[in-house]
Order: sequence, then C-alpha cells, then structure tokens
Amino acid sequence: MAASGASTNHREYFWRKLHSFTGIFPIGAFLAEHFWSNSYVLVSVEKYNEVSRGLQTIPWRVPLEALLIWLPILFHGGYGVYLWWKGKSNVLDYPWMANWMYTLQRWTGLVAFVFIGWHVYTERFLTQGRSTYADVERALSDPLYFWLYIVGVVATSFHLGNGIWNFLCKWGIATSARAQRGAAWFGALVGATFTMVGLAIVLGVRFDWKPFEFYTLPRQ
Amino acid sequence: MRQPKIIVVGGGLAGLMATIKVAEAGVPVELFSIVPVRRSHSVCAQGGINAAKNTKGEGDSPWKHFDDTIYGGDFLANQPLVKAMCEAAPAIIDLLDRMGVPFNRTPEGLLDFRRFGGTLYHRTAFAGATTGQQMLYALDEQVRRFEAEGKVHKYEGWTFLSAVLDEQGICRGICAMDLKSMQVRTFSADAAIFCTGGIGAIFGRSTNSVVCTGSAQSALFQQGVHYANGEFIQVHPTAIPGEDKFRLMSESARGEGGRVWVPRQPGDPRPPKSIPESERFYFLEEWYPKYGNLVPRDVAVRAIHKVVFELKLGVEGQPAVYLDVTHLPRELLDRKLEGILEIYEKFLGVDPRVQPMKVFPAMHYTMGGLWIDDENQATNVPGIYAAGECEYHYHGANRLGANSLVSCLFGGMLAGPAAVRYARNLERGADAVPVSVFEREQRRQEEINERLLRQDGKENPITIWKEMGEWMTEHVTVVRYNKNLERTDQKLQELLERYRHINLSDRTKWSNQTLNFARELYNMLILARVITLGALRRNESRGAHYKPEFPERDDANWLKTTRAIYDCGNIRFEYDPVDVSLIPPRPRRYDVQ
Amino acid sequence: MAETKTVLVHIKRQLAPDQKPYWEEFELSWRPFMNVIILLREIAERPVTREGKVTTPVAFDANCLEEVCGACAMRINGKARQACSALVDQLEQPIRLEPLSKFPVVRDLFVDRSRMFENLKRMKAWVPIDGTYPLGEGPRMAPEVQQRAYPLSRCITCGNCLEVCPQVNERSDFVGAAIINQVRLFNLHPTGAMHKRERLEAVMGPGGIHDCANAQNCVKACPKGIPLVESISEVNRDAIRQAIFGWLFG
Repeated sequence: MAASGASTNHREYFWRKLHSFTGIFPIGAFLAEHFWSNSYVLVSVEKYNEVSRGLQTIPWRVPLEALLIWLPILFHGGYGVYLWWKGKSNVLDYPWMANWMYTLQRWTGLVAFVFIGWHVYTERFLTQGRSTYADVERALSDPLYFWLYIVGVVATSFHLGNGIWNFLCKWGIATSARAQRGAAWFGALVGATFTMVGLAIVLGVRFDWKPFEFYTLPRQ
Repeated sequence: MRQPKIIVVGGGLAGLMATIKVAEAGVPVELFSIVPVRRSHSVCAQGGINAAKNTKGEGDSPWKHFDDTIYGGDFLANQPLVKAMCEAAPAIIDLLDRMGVPFNRTPEGLLDFRRFGGTLYHRTAFAGATTGQQMLYALDEQVRRFEAEGKVHKYEGWTFLSAVLDEQGICRGICAMDLKSMQVRTFSADAAIFCTGGIGAIFGRSTNSVVCTGSAQSALFQQGVHYANGEFIQVHPTAIPGEDKFRLMSESARGEGGRVWVPRQPGDPRPPKSIPESERFYFLEEWYPKYGNLVPRDVAVRAIHKVVFELKLGVEGQPAVYLDVTHLPRELLDRKLEGILEIYEKFLGVDPRVQPMKVFPAMHYTMGGLWIDDENQATNVPGIYAAGECEYHYHGANRLGANSLVSCLFGGMLAGPAAVRYARNLERGADAVPVSVFEREQRRQEEINERLLRQDGKENPITIWKEMGEWMTEHVTVVRYNKNLERTDQKLQELLERYRHINLSDRTKWSNQTLNFARELYNMLILARVITLGALRRNESRGAHYKPEFPERDDANWLKTTRAIYDCGNIRFEYDPVDVSLIPPRPRRYDVQ
Repeated sequence: MAETKTVLVHIKRQLAPDQKPYWEEFELSWRPFMNVIILLREIAERPVTREGKVTTPVAFDANCLEEVCGACAMRINGKARQACSALVDQLEQPIRLEPLSKFPVVRDLFVDRSRMFENLKRMKAWVPIDGTYPLGEGPRMAPEVQQRAYPLSRCITCGNCLEVCPQVNERSDFVGAAIINQVRLFNLHPTGAMHKRERLEAVMGPGGIHDCANAQNCVKACPKGIPLVESISEVNRDAIRQAIFGWLFG
C-alpha cells in the first residue's frame, strides 16, 4: 500500500489483510496437505511411514518449512492473539448465529494455536524431523494426549471452515446476503470435512483402525 | 477589509442552507443547534418537495405553483417572494439532486413526481416517504464538508437563550447555554440567522419533534422582534394519535392513491375490510369531487371534524377515520411509502398494507412566525434574520403540503447572502462593541437560571406544560370560538402566574434538562398568548383559522398581516396590508368543479 | 377486584461522566400504548422511586419520537434499540434501561455520539459539489440504482450497530458499520464515485473496515433494516481491489 495515501496510515490494514490471507494460504493449504498425507495411516503403517519419509526428505526442507509453515503460523497465531484480545464478545447479550461464529472463531483460534505449537514441538522437533508411525502411536496411547488431539483437530477444522466463510465475506467475494449464505455452507462443508478426516486419522492411529488397508492387498 | 462573522441558530434545512450560503461566500459561520444537526426536525418531513418541473406533460409551471400556493394560503401571503420561491423551486430540486438526495426516478432516470394536496399536478419530488430526512442529510453532509475545511464551527448541544442587543438595538451576537455544562456564554457576531423551526410543543402533543418549542422565537419576540400571523396554525388531517406525540401519516399516502373513509353506519363494529364499498363513506371524494382526497389540509381537517363530531361517524364511535392504502399494489407501497407505513406498523403493530390505518388530525405546522421583510428575510431588528418555519412569509393562512421544504431552502438561500451583505456593510462590527454589552446579557441570563434553581414552590413545569397543551389543542386549533379564546388567554395568564412558583425537581448543574425545559416553558407560554390573542382578534375565517361565528373570509377588514409586538411585558397588535399585487384575491372553493 | 396494572422500571443512573453509576427502581401505572419515552416523561413529572425516595428526572436523549432522528437509542432489557419504538406491552418486566455502553455517558441515559459524526468527516461522506449556484440538473440515475442507494441513506446514526459490535470497545477504535455503509452510499452516487478513491483510502485507515470481524450483529440491530453486512462486504471488495492495484501499479 506504499503508493496509496501519504496521509493515511494503512499499516494496520495491511497486517490485517495479510493475517486473513495467510490463514487460507499457505496455512489452510498446508493443513489440507497435512491431513491428506496423514490419511495414509488409514491405509497402512508402511504406507504412512513411506509417505512421511518422502516428505521428510524433500530438498530445501527446512527453508521451505520455515517459509511456508512456521513463519505463517507464527504470524497468523501471534497476530491472532492480539486480535483476540482486541475483540470483546457479547454473545450472551446477543445470541445470534453469526455472533456465535465470531466468538467461536476467536476461541478456536487460540486453542488451535496452542495445540499446533505443542504438536509441532513434539512431532517435529523432539523427533528431529523424523517422526514415524510409532511416535504418533505412542503419543496417542496417552489418554490426555488423545483428547488433546481430538480437541485440537476439531478446533482447527472449525477455525479453518469458519475462516473460509470470513475470508469470502471480508474480501468482498461473497457480498450479497444470498452469496454469504452460500459461502457459509461452503465453509461449513470444509469445516465438517476437515473434522471428519482429522478425527478419522486420530481414531485410526489410536484404535489401529485401517479402513483402507484392503487397497494394499493383492487381487483375489 | 474586516472579516465579518455570522451566527446561524438552528440546524434544520433552513439553517443548514443558510450556513452553506454564508460559508460559500467566504464568511466564517458558527452554527448552534440543540441536537446534532442530523437529528433536527426536518428529518420528519415525509412526502416531498414541490417544484413545477412539468415532467409529466401536464402543462405545469412555476406560475401555477405560485397560484396554487397563494390560493391554498387564502391570499394572506405577501405575493412577490412567494412567486420568487416558486420560480426558484426547480433549480432547488436540481441542486438537491446534485448533492445526492436519492429522489425516486422514472424509467428514463429522471426525477419522479407525485401528486400532493391543493394541486392538480404531479409536482412533488420525493425520496420514498422520508424526503425531509434525505434532504437534511444531504445538506448536513455539505456542511460537514465545510466544517472539515474549517469554514463552519458547530455548537451542537447548545441552546439559544437570547440575542445580544447593543444600545442602538442592533444585534451583536447571541447568548447561548451549553446543555451539558449548563454554562451560559455570549458569542459575538455581525449578524444572526434564526432557523429555529416549529412550535408544536405549545400544543402539548403534535406531529413535531421534542425540540420544536418555539422558545427561540419567543425569546426574540420578547426582545423586540415582531411576530406575524401567529394565529395561523396548521392541523394535519392524518396522524396516528399517541400519548407522547402524534405521528404523521404523510399526505403522500393520499397522493399515491390512498383514500379516506368512514363506515356509513355510525359505530359500525365490523372490521374495515369486511365493509362493502357501498357502505363506505368516502366523504372527501363526495364533497370535493375535483380534488378528492387531495384537498388542502385545512379543508380536509374540517371535513374530518364534521364527520366525527357532527355526523358522529367516527370509526367505532371514536375520533378516528380510515386512511386506506390496502387497494394499492404492494410493490408501489414499498417503493414509495415504506418509510411511513413502517412507522404505523412499528407503533401500532398493524400492517397498513393489509388493514386500513386509523388516523385523526393533529397540530402540525405554524404558518405564522417571526416577521421578516419582503426581500431579505430580515426581521425588524437590525442584524437578525430568519428563515424556515420560524418565520411567517410564505404560506399565508394555510400551507400546501410539500411547500415547507421548498420554503425552508429558499429562505435559507436568501437569508445567508443577505446577512453577509449586511455584515460586510456594517460601519461598526461586533468586535467594536464594548464587552459590557455582552457581559450584561450573560449576567441577565445567568440570573434567570439562578432564580429558577433557587425557587421553592409547588408547581411542576411538566404539569403546566400539559395543561397549556390541552387548552391550546382544544380551543386554538381547528374550530375557534371567541369565548373559548378569551378563556384560553385567561388560562395562559393563570399558568404564567403559577409558573412563578415552579419547583425544579433537579437542581444539579450538569446536563440539567429540567432547568432547560423550565426556561423553554416560559417562552412557550408567552408565544401561546400571541397565538391565542391573534386568533381572538381576527373575526373572520381564512385558511386554517376557522370561526363558526364568522364563517366567511372578510377581505375588507382582515386581508391583513397580524403583527404582534412585545411592549414592556404587554402584547400589542398592529396590522399591515398584504401585498396582493400579482394575483387578485378570489373566493377559495375546493368543492366546486 | 380490579387491580391497577403497574409497570416496573429499573434505570441505571449516573449523575455525570466522572460519577459512579447506580440503579433506581420506579413503579408506574400502566396505560395502553405506553412506550419507554412515556415512562421517562412520567418519571420526570413525578421523580419518586419505588421506595418513595425523591430523586431527579432521568436525563435522556430524544427528539422525533418516530424512529427517524436516531436520538433515543439506549439499552432496553439489555438490547440496543430506540426508546420511542419500544412499546411497554412488548417488554418483559421489570424493564431495565441503561445507556449505550460504547459511548461516553453524559448523564443517565444520555450519551455522547459525536464520535460517529467525526468519523463521517474522516470518510468524506458527502457528494462534493462545486457550489450551490445553478449548474443544471443532477446526473441521471437508473431507478434500480436509486432503489439500492435509498435504503443505505436511511441510516439514522443511532449507534445501535456500534453498540452491538464486539469489535467496538475501549481497546479498538473501529468506526463501525454505519460509517462504512456511508462510504458505500457515496461511492454509489455518480458524482460521489469520482472521489471513491479518497473514501476508500480513508476507510482503510486506522479503525477502518479491516476491524470488522464478521460477527454480523450490526445488521440484526439496525432499526432501519439497512443491509449493513452487504455494505461492508462491498466496500471490502472495492478496498482490496484498490489496495492491490494501488500497490502493484500505483
């Protein structure tokens, strides 16, 4: 916004839009990828470890991770905490649907940020970037960790789905009431899909549930 | 050259227009308003604004607009300025259009016009049914732009107390009170333009806003500004009665095809929709076939009174008639009348698109006001100008619907430049006036406050106000009898006496609304006497002034402007001839073809 | 036995901006078609609390009493709305009256909303005309455009949309939906559109449109049914377009 308005300060606008944008890209996009590759736990341990290993050995891994994952999440989360502090929910006085969404967006964001921080620390750093199925399985065998994962996955998925709706409204892509209703359904669909896939992954590891294992079996 | 300074009191349409004109001339303006100007009473104007643009191929012209206005006003208005106003009206509409007022459009993208009372032409431009609101906002925005440029300084939340007059009786500024801190202060200026609107509160409940007390006019009157034609009070035929106020149902409801009726059978208990056409009495259409539901307001009001009180045909035996728009297409109602239908729906919980509305006449407007001259909107006190409803010039004995907005703007457009000319030509400006003149006025006003706060009596200002309102509404509106007018004046004098014993239930010195109301109440009582005495003296019937004892217009004796003068505590009357040089008076009959 | 129906009112009082708020209770006799304004006027005529304590009349802001001036907004039973159109029969008792909480209290129920008018100034919410002298007709406008602009122009600056907005609070200087709606209104007008850029610049400034977090309470609280959410979204679209193109190619 360098060119526009020497007199008006647009710094906050810029950071706000960047915040909103990073939530979708790269964070939302990465989350999709992450859920996708983790879904291999539903196929087989070997397949999962193979895909993991593949991702863990891509060239330029650390700078790519830093640029596309850590920095955006740190920024989106950190700035998000500031925004969480700035808003004051009044959903008890005005218990309207979108107001609930507003309030939940803030709290799920906070939960997701804490969860993701812990998740990255345990699964990425403690394992020195070489996490395997066994590491995840060990973590999920602890009931506390298991429930943390459940909460984390639901919060993150909600935050993304609702965030997509917010994004479509706040970037003027869905403007009319009708378009915004459509965007809300789309966001809800995304959120529900992520929740289901995410829960399937967690439950799959925890209960050794491999619904797609038959893919690996030889033809009868 | 000395830079003059001008004060505008009142931020409704007239005040804002005057402000714009003065600022545009490069003269700094201080604008005073009790409420933020965007909340002024002009916001309540609904139906539209008249201008003979003749866009419907009907052969309308400014002259016809002029003739309708003079005829509608029963020939009491001085004619030259009215003619100038009607000629200026089309350009005023254009100006508003340029300012962004969202007037309704025709399919070609031109301004749409609707019909209104007292004319046979489509002459009224409108923005839904909230035209006044839209116009006020447009002007408010222009003034805000000047404010941002530093040319206008607003004092919102201040009330005018008095003019500052020097030894020669020239206005040198004003004395005003901050309604938060209750601080009394004087402001010097070379000229002051008063655009302080209506006086509805004198009648207790009216269609007016809370701030329309006429207090400023009365204060000026008590300082020597003459008050003209005070007895001409317009009652609007269609309002929703309420305990706190009467809410207006615009004439535009009839302009778009709404019909007024009552059941033919007295006290008919059936719901209105189940009463067949043949058993409905469309009395305006029957009695006035040419104008139908769009007769001027005074005529419609008297017809409703006759139907309700003489023929005893009020709806369900109550003082009410039906205003019916249920036969009109819903799309048209929503596009052109939504603003008013919404009011009815919100306040009564009944959808007027489905059920006929129950309405009754209510005090609405004062044709009378501060006396001004024939060209400059100047009062008889040098340096004091007036524009809008608070002056008397444009509407004679009865105002036509949708003419008030145009008179506000036209008056403001004249007053602004006239005040600038006067201020520039002043030999000695306000800055050369000794400080003592200002100090004296401030002291006088502070003493009034101190006395009111000290005073220990038994009377409550709101009770006095209610009594005044009841008496004024009963005896000094639609039908007037001399005996009752005399009794009303005695009552007003009694109230003035009781006023001396009022007890303020609030003696604090911060945002004390009781104190301010008590001050206004005194001024209202004085102005109420001006209205009542003016009505008592005028032994004829003309426009809105109707005396059954004198049912005819009497041009030989009463083709005269009433001029009330405050003389050492007494109200004195003088009468001036009316300038009828352009259209000779003729009988006013809306019932003949 | 016919008992007189009464109305119970609890009012949050505050004598001055620097004073502590406190509550008072009033009991008034019921009449049909009462609204909150009538209640307050009755108290003014006889300022005695339910316990019989003599008090002062309640200060409040009101003018037109037909919901078109915007003055009498307050919190009635916890909800921001206009007092004139709040009918007693439709309210749960005791009726709780409080001043709007997002604006500084002047006294009792009277608040200072001048901030909204100041923000209108910042957003250049006007059609800049060359002058009031006769310059001919205004621009032609399709009826469809007028029908879009008119509802936006019915905003009464009551402040209810700010009151209910979680993003408007003491930690944030968000201008609120009413103001952004005016940006849309003037950008829609043919002449106003010539200065669209300036308004968008302003609305991207501090406290601007980016502070909206899509709680969408504004549109629910608006007494005039203005499509505020749509307005914010449209201005958002124009703003982001200007930001990107201004940044890349400006």
